[in-house]
Amino acid sequence: MSVLFIALPIALLLGGGGMWACVRCIRAGQYDDLDTPAMRMLIDDRETQDVDKETV
Amino acid sequence: MFCCAGCHGAYELIHGWGLDDYYALRDRTRAGDATPTRGEKSRYEAFDSEAFLGLSKPVRQADGLVSAELALHGLHCGACAWLIENAAARTVGWRSARVKLSDHTLRLLFDPTRIRLSQIARLLDRLGYELAPLTKNPDDHFRRENRQLLIQVAIAGFCAANAMWIAVALYAGAASGVAADHRFFLRMIGTGLGVAAVVFPGRTFFVGAWASLRTRTPHMDLPVALGLSVGTLVGGINAISGRGEIYFDSLAVLVFLLLIGRWIQFHQQHRAAKAVDLLLRITPSHARRLISAGQTEWVLADALQIGETIRVAAGESLPADGTIIAGQSILDRSLLTGESRPVEVNPGDAVSAGTVNVLRSIDLRVAAVGRDSRIGKVMQSVERAAADKTPVVQLADRIGGVFVVVVTILALVVLAVWSQAGLAIAASHATSLLIVACPCALALATPLAIAVSLGRAAKRKILIRDGSSLQSLAEPGILWFDKTGTLTEGRAIAELVFGEPTALADAAAIERDCRHPIADAVLREATNRQLELPANARLTHVHLGGIAGTSEGREVRVGNLHFIRQQGCAVENSVLAVVDRCITQLSSPILVSIDARVVAVLAITDPLKAGAGEVVRQLQKQGWTVGILSGDHPEIVRHVGEQLGIPTERVWGGLSPEDKLAHVRRGEARTVVMIGDGANDAAALAAADVGVAVRGGAEVSLQAAPVFIASGNLSSLLELTGGAARTSTLIRAAFAVSLAYNLLAVGFAMAGLISPLLAAVLMPISSISVLSLTLAWPTFRESVR
Repeated sequence: MSVLFIALPIALLLGGGGMWACVRCIRAGQYDDLDTPAMRMLIDDRETQDVDKETV
Repeated sequence: MFCCAGCHGAYELIHGWGLDDYYALRDRTRAGDATPTRGEKSRYEAFDSEAFLGLSKPVRQADGLVSAELALHGLHCGACAWLIENAAARTVGWRSARVKLSDHTLRLLFDPTRIRLSQIARLLDRLGYELAPLTKNPDDHFRRENRQLLIQVAIAGFCAANAMWIAVALYAGAASGVAADHRFFLRMIGTGLGVAAVVFPGRTFFVGAWASLRTRTPHMDLPVALGLSVGTLVGGINAISGRGEIYFDSLAVLVFLLLIGRWIQFHQQHRAAKAVDLLLRITPSHARRLISAGQTEWVLADALQIGETIRVAAGESLPADGTIIAGQSILDRSLLTGESRPVEVNPGDAVSAGTVNVLRSIDLRVAAVGRDSRIGKVMQSVERAAADKTPVVQLADRIGGVFVVVVTILALVVLAVWSQAGLAIAASHATSLLIVACPCALALATPLAIAVSLGRAAKRKILIRDGSSLQSLAEPGILWFDKTGTLTEGRAIAELVFGEPTALADAAAIERDCRHPIADAVLREATNRQLELPANARLTHVHLGGIAGTSEGREVRVGNLHFIRQQGCAVENSVLAVVDRCITQLSSPILVSIDARVVAVLAITDPLKAGAGEVVRQLQKQGWTVGILSGDHPEIVRHVGEQLGIPTERVWGGLSPEDKLAHVRRGEARTVVMIGDGANDAAALAAADVGVAVRGGAEVSLQAAPVFIASGNLSSLLELTGGAARTSTLIRAAFAVSLAYNLLAVGFAMAGLISPLLAAVLMPISSISVLSLTLAWPTFRESVR
């Protein structure tokens, strides 16, 4: 069970890395507008389909 | 049907998602939209001048491209964003567009050598969106605060999740045995995470508690901070000494949940706090200044100087107060006064900003601009009133004050009672009590209940800006209705009461080229009767009170009695009798003469909305005092009041906007509600405790009034009052449930029975009960009767 002394800090480090990334995203403003990106993601998919049809 | 492939695609998407309501909503909000910006379509050249753009001044980048940020009106949903962003991709020289739905702005990137901003503006106008320069800097403060709060939630979430895993390991170890060094290590890591959660994200609560202590106002932060600090202190001592409970998993989760509740609340408050920029949307932001004979230039309305001459074309609204120096016209003052009939103005008359020039171009000498104008002064007083309004003290905060005192006393009692069994045990029990009694569910209950109700109301096409309006609407008070456009349809209806339909056809044929509410009514009546309009008709003169023209060689005149007599037409006694009958029925008679002989009479009325009487009756039954405030002629208003069964002493007509404000502000009841048109009654709507707009565009209405009924149906008012009452009951019920859990927990703690396990079970169960209660509660339902 002594692996705990190594595994736990590593787990916390990994988790901390995730948190750091999340904080960076927030700082960069990715969470400022929670309405538009949700819509944009859905619509962009559709658009590429249409373009494909036109080119075929 | 569709103007372009983009519209078709947007329609298919909307249809495919089953969101056809979008069109109903859009058409309804458009139909009633009294756009003060009408007539600005031709002014896109101005987008190329930096003076016009003001804060939206384009910024040149290193690669030669230019970026600009502009306000965008007419956004409805994601499909609009998609359409605009795709339009950019398909236009030569326009590199990119990023729409921000949350604050209705558009960031553009374009190549100035290949396309001009005015061309982009015109293109967007064709798609149905209107660009405008930004009026104030983007809300940096909100953005910063929002990010700060989200970061705190993220850190608290990380700490809470990991502390809980460690707690699970510790509980498992307690049950099945664990090596002492492992136990110590896990406790140390858990303590570290808990302390981190309390010190970094949990700092907010200590700041709030300190502020509440300093201002001596009870606040929910106080019991939270007390619980957190005692828990941290005792848990820290226990962790170091290696004996007793460490509370850090509970503490970290507590901080995490409370921060989520706070974030929800913060978003609501932000929506409420959006600046009331009323003045701007009532008066146009730009004016046409006369520079030399016949020459005009566009300037910002704020840049106008007193004494300068401006020209206002037909269909535009006046950008400033002034005196008419040239031109005769008719002004629609309904925006300012609510009068349903336009009035005539002549050179020398003083006119106010915000009124709409209906007939033909006039020149004015500017007397007052912006905040000094009459409408500006009204709005300033509204803003002052809004600032004075004391915020509704949240139920949670009120209870929080009592709560902290009770819990502290109880903790002292526990300490005293258990001190016989040894100080260590007594301290441990008292600490358990403080932590278990921490009002986690209590603090979550209100923001959650309000957020859910707002969401449900929005689905019923009732848009509510902030939760405090729901609280105010829960108990009946005084409810003032505007008349024109609120109780009545707000648009004139013509009815042929005397004469042949052919005369109506002739009248409609010459009215076709005239822009006037009565002309529209006459045309509609002719269309309703499916009359064939003579093709060979011409409008020759437009006078005040009537028009003249020819139709297939016949001389046609349409106008009021005074105008028809002035034109030398014969008015028979039978016609006069019909005119008198119209006047006693409170409709305005319009006469049609052909070849100098009156042959037909049209009665112009503004009919009541369907179901208005029923709604007023229901509201009175619910205990509301109902009244009418109108700028229209007192006789007409009194008549409408009688029809609806509103007592005469609560029916006021002929009021100026200042009078309306005075009535609304008199504050006879605890809650004063004003229901009116988002565009016309902005001042009174903003001054009332709760303003409810039933007409006008959603975005402009919500600036003046906290509630906007997008369906325009008066029956939605009943849903609103009913839903508000049920929401208030829900909040009380959620409080009762979470208080019951707290009492239970406190009972166990005082008896010394609380084990970490029981605390760990009780805490989430209380939160989950409040959550499910809130979601299951029928606040806004399909059928409300």
